[in-house]
Amino acid sequence: MKGSLSGAREGRPSALRRLVAKASADDLCAFVVPGPDVARARGIDLGAAGLGVAATPRHAGVILLLGELPAGLKKAAAVAYAQMPRPRAVLAVGAGDISPLPGPDVSVAATQADLAAGVDELRRLFAAGAFVEETTAFYADEIETETTYACPMHPGVTSGGPGSCPRCGMDLVPRESTGGSGHEGHHGAHDSHAGMGHGSVDEDAGGHGDHGDMGFMSMVEMTQGTPRSSDGLQMEWADAPFGPLFPGLPGGLAMSFTLDGDTVAVVKAMRGIDGWGPESLDDVTAREFPERLAFLSPLSPIAYRVLALRALGVAAGAETDEETLLGQVGALERERAASHLGWLSGFGRLLGYSWLGENAGRLQVALLRAADAGEVGRLEPEVGKFVRRVIRTPLLARRLEGIGTLPGDAEISGPVARASGLARDARAQGTGYRHLGFEPVVRDGGDAFARLRVRLAEIEQSLGLVRRAGVVSFTEVKPAANAGDVGVATVETPRGAATLRVTLREDAVEVLELRTPSSVHQGFVGAVAEQREVADALVGVASLDISPWEVTG
Amino acid sequence: MIFLVLAAGAYFVAVLERWATKGRFSLKGPVVSGLALLGRESLVPRKLDRIFFEAAPPLVLVSAVLAAAVLPLAPGLVVADLATGALFVNAALAYVMVALLMAGWGPDGAYAMVAGFRFLGQLVAYSMLIVMPITAVAMRAESLVTTVVVTSQATLWNAAYQPLGFVLYFLAAMAVAFLPPFDLPVAPGELAGGVEAEYTGWRLAAMRLGRATLVFTLALSVTVFYLGGWLGPVLPPWAWTVLKTLVVTAVMLWLGRYVPRLREADVLAWGWKYGIPLALLNIFYVGVVLLGAA
Repeated sequence: MKGSLSGAREGRPSALRRLVAKASADDLCAFVVPGPDVARARGIDLGAAGLGVAATPRHAGVILLLGELPAGLKKAAAVAYAQMPRPRAVLAVGAGDISPLPGPDVSVAATQADLAAGVDELRRLFAAGAFVEETTAFYADEIETETTYACPMHPGVTSGGPGSCPRCGMDLVPRESTGGSGHEGHHGAHDSHAGMGHGSVDEDAGGHGDHGDMGFMSMVEMTQGTPRSSDGLQMEWADAPFGPLFPGLPGGLAMSFTLDGDTVAVVKAMRGIDGWGPESLDDVTAREFPERLAFLSPLSPIAYRVLALRALGVAAGAETDEETLLGQVGALERERAASHLGWLSGFGRLLGYSWLGENAGRLQVALLRAADAGEVGRLEPEVGKFVRRVIRTPLLARRLEGIGTLPGDAEISGPVARASGLARDARAQGTGYRHLGFEPVVRDGGDAFARLRVRLAEIEQSLGLVRRAGVVSFTEVKPAANAGDVGVATVETPRGAATLRVTLREDAVEVLELRTPSSVHQGFVGAVAEQREVADALVGVASLDISPWEVTG
Repeated sequence: MIFLVLAAGAYFVAVLERWATKGRFSLKGPVVSGLALLGRESLVPRKLDRIFFEAAPPLVLVSAVLAAAVLPLAPGLVVADLATGALFVNAALAYVMVALLMAGWGPDGAYAMVAGFRFLGQLVAYSMLIVMPITAVAMRAESLVTTVVVTSQATLWNAAYQPLGFVLYFLAAMAVAFLPPFDLPVAPGELAGGVEAEYTGWRLAAMRLGRATLVFTLALSVTVFYLGGWLGPVLPPWAWTVLKTLVVTAVMLWLGRYVPRLREADVLAWGWKYGIPLALLNIFYVGVVLLGAA
């Protein structure tokens, strides 16, 4: 495998092919797993490392795996990789074990400098080995399809092989189902050169692949028994997965829309990410616990680290001193501003508002890289200008108003609640905030536009709090609790209030309860998306800012 | 000569588009991307409608080239100086919708299919706003011949003579070329590439070439109908046409960066509720001005 790509394309290297290989090396575009949002939250700028970001694996030459991935995402990544046209390569960035994907072509640590070096190495590999004389095929188990035969008129009549329907005598038509679930299955199988399949268009509803075989049939007969949508228009229903690797949603968030034309009829939301969650917190010592909890929430690690420290502190009965408290406030607020900017960047991508996507992402990374409160302060004027410009964007209010509306009495928290006119904010009771003159930002409307306005105002507010706190880091004091002690704490994370209740056993922490805002908000996905046009449904879901990483059970 | 200009135009559109979307000006960028695309596998979906899938990318290109054929670069520099040239532009552009619908249906994928039908809806919104402003342009020129349309603007460009029609046509042209904020059929964030999602390798290269040519053709049509075509001092006539066209292209490409994509319902509602009455008003206004001058 020396000097060539694992996903090289078959072909004898010739002068023309060498030229083409060089071009591919200069034009690297990556499909990012879990998503560009996670990269930015880790302070990694993909564009600066010379990588473009592709919206679909079909348009990518590199699959970039970022951080340790849960089993569910590794499977989804394998499916995505199988869909990429050759020449293709795997770039692992601090990813550890990546099976079922093939071994990485280049593996680097998750820092900006290492990534840049990795991309250079990848370019060399592309230029030298994009074409080889013999290639190996890659199969992902999830996309194996199973073919059954069914009667077009009587869906209940199925058989393992071709034949005719015992009830009406019509020829049975083949119907396929894929093996895996939760993957981006609008593309199906791809064995290295034969092509791909589609597991998505719902054949039960008369998938359009097979009209030709049916001969003449009246519309009434064709649509008989199929569900009728709210507008009364009988249209083809098709199941389409959105996520876990969908470009307009946070990486890892998985849903399935049943589309009625371009209206979302039914939403099936997956709970969290396969193979990720508090189960993995079993048998973690008190010393490792904050680190571990932070690791589980890549989009806001500091908030969960502070949550763990505070719950353990309460269990130990230890008072947190002023200085640490202030440091925690600074760190939390910097993270909040960065997290909201990260949300804006992803939202800009969904809305097709490229200026927003780029600039929010750039500011987020700059904010996360700032060394101290002074450097954060120097970003304040620029962020302020950015916020004012976003709010003045023509057509933005029109696009967002009335989308994703939730009733004010719903069990919601964080910016989602504060956009519904509810002054719910765990910080209002927080000791560290009292001296800083904190007032929750509250807006009315309860729709996507109100959520945008709350988050924009909170970005500025958080930077102001950082300035007043004067620090952005704190020293971690590991509290010494005894077995049997119980501690509970609540922290206002960027997405809302998270509550953790822990108890200590001999040498491990037992999580009695972990209540995260995303778990709660996940329950409203159906409410904001159903009976909406696809774009509006996605805007509604995205406006909730659900982090799939913190969705539990 | 004309096809050379068209090819060069499409090329510059690609350069400008990269500049607008990636923030880097690179003259060799599109060559590199194009070569890279040609070097990649062109996969075919398994349950495709072969004819639709294969025919769509060339059809975009064909309709763009056909429309460009009646648009003059300079006096005498036009492929076909048809008596019905201005109408022919509209007729040729109709096939863009057919191509995109085919590209959406062909691969049998849910995202692409929704995207294809979105563009059908978009056509309903923009098509009248292509025809009606052209009508007003033809009224002033008293001809559908595109070269006569240009010479009719010798005293005053149509952009100033009928600004309303200019704005409507400009926006409608952006909608035909599905440029942001009218990029509903490709919508990377909403439909992961939409009609383009299932195309790879040389087929994707063909699709992108067709799109670039289409943008150039539409910018050329804006130049011919509203910006006085080749008219201008000092420089040779063809240079004026090309220069104006590239400026129009640049504006088209940059405008969409600063606004969110429109909602499909809004595109339709605004097209019919505001666009068509305004286009009628424009025709009426041009009629009154013409009568007043006569």
